[in-house]
Amino acid sequence: MILRVTVYLIMAFLLVPLALIVLFSFNESPSFTFPITGYSIRWYAQIFSDPQLASALWKSFWIATLTAIITFILGAAASLAWLRLGRNGRTVLEVLCITPIALPGLFLGVSLLVLASQVGVQLSMITIVISHVVLALPMLMIAMRARLVLFDPNLEEASRDLGASQVLTFRRVTLPLIAPTLISCAVLSFALSFDEFVVTAFVSGTETTLPMYIWSMMRRTVTPLINAISTLAMVFTIAIISIALAIAAMKRATNLSSRNAA
Amino acid sequence: MPPIIEITDGNKAFSGFKALQNINLSIAQGEIVTLLGPSGCGKTTLMRIFAGFESLTSGSLRIDGKDVSSLPPEKRPVNMVFQRYALFPHLDVFENVAYGLKVKGIGKDEVRERVRNMLRIVQMDHLQQRFITELSGGQCQRVALARALVNGPKVLLLDEPLAALDLKIRQHMLTEMKRIHAETGATFIYVTHDQDEAMILSDRVVLIDRGQIVQIDTPQDMYNKPNCLFSAKFLGETNILHGTVVEDAAGRRAFRSSEGSFHYQPTNEIASKSAAIMSVRPEAMSLHAENPVRDNAIPATVTDVLFTGSRSFYHLVSDGGETLRAQVQNMPGLSRPNVGDRVHVCWPHDGSVVLPASPGH
Repeated sequence: MILRVTVYLIMAFLLVPLALIVLFSFNESPSFTFPITGYSIRWYAQIFSDPQLASALWKSFWIATLTAIITFILGAAASLAWLRLGRNGRTVLEVLCITPIALPGLFLGVSLLVLASQVGVQLSMITIVISHVVLALPMLMIAMRARLVLFDPNLEEASRDLGASQVLTFRRVTLPLIAPTLISCAVLSFALSFDEFVVTAFVSGTETTLPMYIWSMMRRTVTPLINAISTLAMVFTIAIISIALAIAAMKRATNLSSRNAA
Repeated sequence: MPPIIEITDGNKAFSGFKALQNINLSIAQGEIVTLLGPSGCGKTTLMRIFAGFESLTSGSLRIDGKDVSSLPPEKRPVNMVFQRYALFPHLDVFENVAYGLKVKGIGKDEVRERVRNMLRIVQMDHLQQRFITELSGGQCQRVALARALVNGPKVLLLDEPLAALDLKIRQHMLTEMKRIHAETGATFIYVTHDQDEAMILSDRVVLIDRGQIVQIDTPQDMYNKPNCLFSAKFLGETNILHGTVVEDAAGRRAFRSSEGSFHYQPTNEIASKSAAIMSVRPEAMSLHAENPVRDNAIPATVTDVLFTGSRSFYHLVSDGGETLRAQVQNMPGLSRPNVGDRVHVCWPHDGSVVLPASPGH
């Protein structure tokens, strides 16, 4: 009984703020207090009527998308290497990939800035994406390692034995098995990049991402616009996950029906 | 008929360690051959060489008359059943079995036909849509067999396929395996460390020890005519006596040990006065209160009796201090010796095998 109540309380603690954000994003008045006097979508309209905000949102979206794609590819490559390396090689790979997580974002930001100026790279969207990948990859590798220790190397041999080349084995066995973890890690990378602030502040140069814009906005006044932005981000994330699940279910259904046709 | 698989002077070394030495083996179409040996003897390595996951350091391997040394696993006409099945967890039963045919680009209708047919043979056609995680060990075993056999391999390699199953299902799967072998007519090469599996299943047993083939024979011959101490001890239980071969004035051979002199029927040439061992199976021994004289006999004391229903196992200590094990068929109304009784442990002249004492084993 106590356990059950605790679980509900924790879930409420996690979900109520989200529900409030969604609710207030439709609030007509700019106040953050009950009772709600009326509903409107003016804050949503305002997002798209503010060109600076829209551009920051768009920029953050692209940075996050690129970060997610690059971490996905690097993560897949690192996972393949991990599966083929011996014990020592795995340790080296883990140390190299996971160490950045131990560094405070502040130092990471400074060192990336120093590196960029040493190499002579202009601070831009590119440097932002690179630094976000540096941040997201350790998190992906930690999650992937948990998946990879369960990966039976005999599966790849079984595939070869059944007539599939190395490339075909990767496409039909290895990738489908590690893809669910990789994709969820990529979604996490997207989220991580979308609201990253500390490191971005060092390497963004003249670019303004969404978190930076909101921060500068909040220094003047707290606006309900933020609720609308958060709600949009949430809907977007849920949509991606639902679409992925729906595609998987549809594939299975067509597969079964084509098999049973004759 | 030419052999379906033939390995000549095969050697395999892993960074200096000789995993396999001087392997010569040829297997005929349709045979069930077991590679038997203790763990670490190299039998799995030999299997992986057949499959193409390892290559020979020297020697040649021919499958169906063609040298396959340079062929990768996917190009060899063999399929393997892995020890822990290695079924694809992201595919259901049907897709697992269809995998090999699909990657070879075989048409949809033919794939469906062959997969269904094979699932019928292994009696899994009612569970086509199940995922692997929803199957029992025995069911996984059937799917693994079907996945390999559906490709029509010239040789089916089985790597301790029953090791992960419990005893009851294991016995059932052994008879199933025989039935499936008869129905498909494929050649089976079966790796195991379990002598019972080897004897029940095989046409021939290849006994391997420390990277070398010790003996190749039918299960009956390997059990009754082991060619060395290792064979005698690895298959079944046996009593080993150490001694020398002697020759009487009439030229008759006998085996002399600290327990006495015993007659035997020589099956191999062992020079007189050379060190030898005598192997006597427990079931060849009988226990008598009086020495019946016509047989070999050792006076001994019963130290333990294990009654298992149809048979009893006797542990005895001879007067010379040798530990012996005898197996006696139980019959109603027959009196049996008890612990502490003095008996004569007897066996007929043709109930033993005498082998040269090999220092290696």
